[in-house]
Amino acid sequence: MTTTAGTAHDVHQAPTGGGGWRGLLLRGGLLRGAWMFVAFGGLGFGLVVLARWGGGWHPILATEPLVLVAALVTAPIGFLAGIGAFDYWAYYAMGYPTRAEDHSGHGAKSWRDYLRVNTDHKVIGVQYLVTTVFFFLAGGLLALLVRAELAKPGIQYFDPQTYNGLFSVHAALMIFLFVIPAFAGLANFVVPLMLGAADMAFPRLNALSFWLLPIAGIMMLSSFFMPGGAFACGWTGYATLCSSHQPIGAIFFNQGVQWAGASSIMTALNFLVTIITMRAPGMTFWRMPLLVWANFTTSLLVVIATPFIAGSQFFSMFDHVMHTSFFNPVGGGYPLGYQHIFWFYSHPAVYIMMLPGFGIMSEVISVFSRKPIFGYRLMALSLMAIVVLGFSVWAHHMFVSGMSSWLRVPMMITTLLIAIPTGIKIFSWLATMWEGKLHFRTPMLFALGFLSMFVIGGLSGVMLGAVPIDIHVSQTYFIVAHIHYVLFGGSVFTIFAGIYYWFPKMTGRMYDERLGKLHFWLTFVGFNLTFFPMHILGTEGMPRRVADYLPKFADLNMFISLASFGLGASVIVFLYNMITSWRFGEIAPANPWRGMTLEWQVTSPPPIFNFDEIPQVVGSPYEYGVPGAQHAVLAPSKAREMEEVPV
Amino acid sequence: MYLFIASEIMLFGSFFTAYFFVRIVNGIPWPTPPYHLPVFVATINTVILMTSSATMHWGTQAIKRGNVWGMRAGLLLTFLMGTAFLTSQIFEYMRAGFNTSNGAFPTIFFCLTGLHGCHVFVGLSILLFMTIRAFRGHFSAEHHHGVEIGGIYWHFVDVMWIVVFTTVYIL
Repeated sequence: MTTTAGTAHDVHQAPTGGGGWRGLLLRGGLLRGAWMFVAFGGLGFGLVVLARWGGGWHPILATEPLVLVAALVTAPIGFLAGIGAFDYWAYYAMGYPTRAEDHSGHGAKSWRDYLRVNTDHKVIGVQYLVTTVFFFLAGGLLALLVRAELAKPGIQYFDPQTYNGLFSVHAALMIFLFVIPAFAGLANFVVPLMLGAADMAFPRLNALSFWLLPIAGIMMLSSFFMPGGAFACGWTGYATLCSSHQPIGAIFFNQGVQWAGASSIMTALNFLVTIITMRAPGMTFWRMPLLVWANFTTSLLVVIATPFIAGSQFFSMFDHVMHTSFFNPVGGGYPLGYQHIFWFYSHPAVYIMMLPGFGIMSEVISVFSRKPIFGYRLMALSLMAIVVLGFSVWAHHMFVSGMSSWLRVPMMITTLLIAIPTGIKIFSWLATMWEGKLHFRTPMLFALGFLSMFVIGGLSGVMLGAVPIDIHVSQTYFIVAHIHYVLFGGSVFTIFAGIYYWFPKMTGRMYDERLGKLHFWLTFVGFNLTFFPMHILGTEGMPRRVADYLPKFADLNMFISLASFGLGASVIVFLYNMITSWRFGEIAPANPWRGMTLEWQVTSPPPIFNFDEIPQVVGSPYEYGVPGAQHAVLAPSKAREMEEVPV
Repeated sequence: MYLFIASEIMLFGSFFTAYFFVRIVNGIPWPTPPYHLPVFVATINTVILMTSSATMHWGTQAIKRGNVWGMRAGLLLTFLMGTAFLTSQIFEYMRAGFNTSNGAFPTIFFCLTGLHGCHVFVGLSILLFMTIRAFRGHFSAEHHHGVEIGGIYWHFVDVMWIVVFTTVYIL
């Protein structure tokens, strides 16, 4: 759809607005985004009023549909159009001459360029990461507020509804606005480089899918300012609680998930097409780095599963706003249907949040052990096995929900089965390190932290997969401990490893190794002190998602709260390191880790079009320590270079 | 594009899951008395939409052979028939005699046909732009990617309607 190759040198100048104030208001950017946000919001408002007036419904100014349509649908579209995300398509659709992509906007010369719609995958990758770290901080602060409330039994700072809002928004931000898009950001930067491509397959789609994210995040955060407070039924938003008795904040969750989901579907389509069609010559599927494999499989999951959460949130929202009866038993609806549809997405989603991390681990562990990855093909195949099995385990989240009991045992068996491909990966990493020359740089430390923490989380997952144990600890802190061991000890550690590993490539500067190690140890110790005691609390029966608890749990909870503040403090070290190193860090060499994959064969940061010459891939990406092994040859071939203008 | 269609099919899949839960698991009568569905009007609508798929195909084939006027006529007819379908759907909604808050049967009815209606609307918008471009002379035997992509989408919308029509009106 975005073919411009034929006219690459024939730059049409489309209207961009004149100079002065008028030009500033008309040119694509944050300012135009602001006024179009208001204008489109007004348009949506008008549409609702008109429809209700025309249909004779009362009251005409009903709050819920107004907020829903005006503030949550049309206003963000106005913002997107305003910042210029649709410019090209609008010209195309109306048949005006389009501005052929002359790549003048590629690269970022100053920080202001990051606030514009930019089609360069490297800029978008950094935009993603900075945005997600922002939401990581916001979500982390909410978690600290939760822990502050839980430090002592009884109600201290927040009433129960506000407390429910705090942990719900915390979870929603961390999942939809941090873990999933942070992986998308890293992959955005790295995958085209690893493939030897100049950019993603659809650069404009890529830009659009990034700009949907801040919308989703701000939508979720702003639900705190709504009358009645934020959505407060947990990130799972179970019907019928969330679809009927909640304040208006609940539809902010329903709608925010749609925007984040649309963003990840678009990104996934982009990755799939990029990986299938834009590999460098010689880059066969069995020569792709495992990070690329991981993103390929993740994207398959996203494309197939994410529409289901879109569906579940639509139903829940319609039940709330339009009084439909999807889940309302009074009208003939089926309340458990929500959980089935929701988990049919959300179980694959835990692999969406884990597989890219597995990819990062394979890169980091192989490079810092100076050894080929053990069992390369089996590593890739186990990713595919997880994709397939991932769709057959959803009801293990519902053992106590009252679903048909014959579903329990098959779901238990598939749940135990899916531990096998994951186990294959763990043992392959261990075998990769075996007798390797280990270099304990910060990314490797995080990788080792990930391995140990993820095994704990994975094993408690196997325990939870067994029906009898699950029935005992469902809805207790054991679940909280498990999810944080796999998502924090698992995903977040791999994200940190990835950020440190590619920081020199992204910024052209080295991070401070001492601060990086300090960050690791603070995180690792703080994490275990915070979350390990939760296992004990859970088996003793402390329920999750409740602001108050029995006095007998007081000591451990005080301990956990103190530890969690330490964990929170470790993030300050990370931020300080990132910001100062980005500005003043030592200049990074092209290949500080002596990696073999393609991104390390170009300068740091990479040239605007990634490769001055098309790399010819000749071998496996992981032949560390093998004499004479080569992954790719970067031979000059000017004729080919002309063909590689991204289409 | 086919990957995107796969994603769309899954979105419809989630709506059909809701249909399955309400109609099979809960076993509510379909259509729930006292309501009934205008099957005759819907059948005519189905015929219109099927015909529009044929004209779409005609338009795509025409431009492949370089027949610009054939493409223009095909696109224009497709657009008109799609609009007719959507209009009669709106009238059907207005005269249905029930609305979304009348229980599970109207819920599923409105949401399945409504989701499909949204897709028809998106398809029509794409068609509109395609037609504008076609009349501005933008497509040729060599460059007609835009027509093909829009065509795939339109055929998908039509096939989906057959499924919706069968499950909602006939079964």
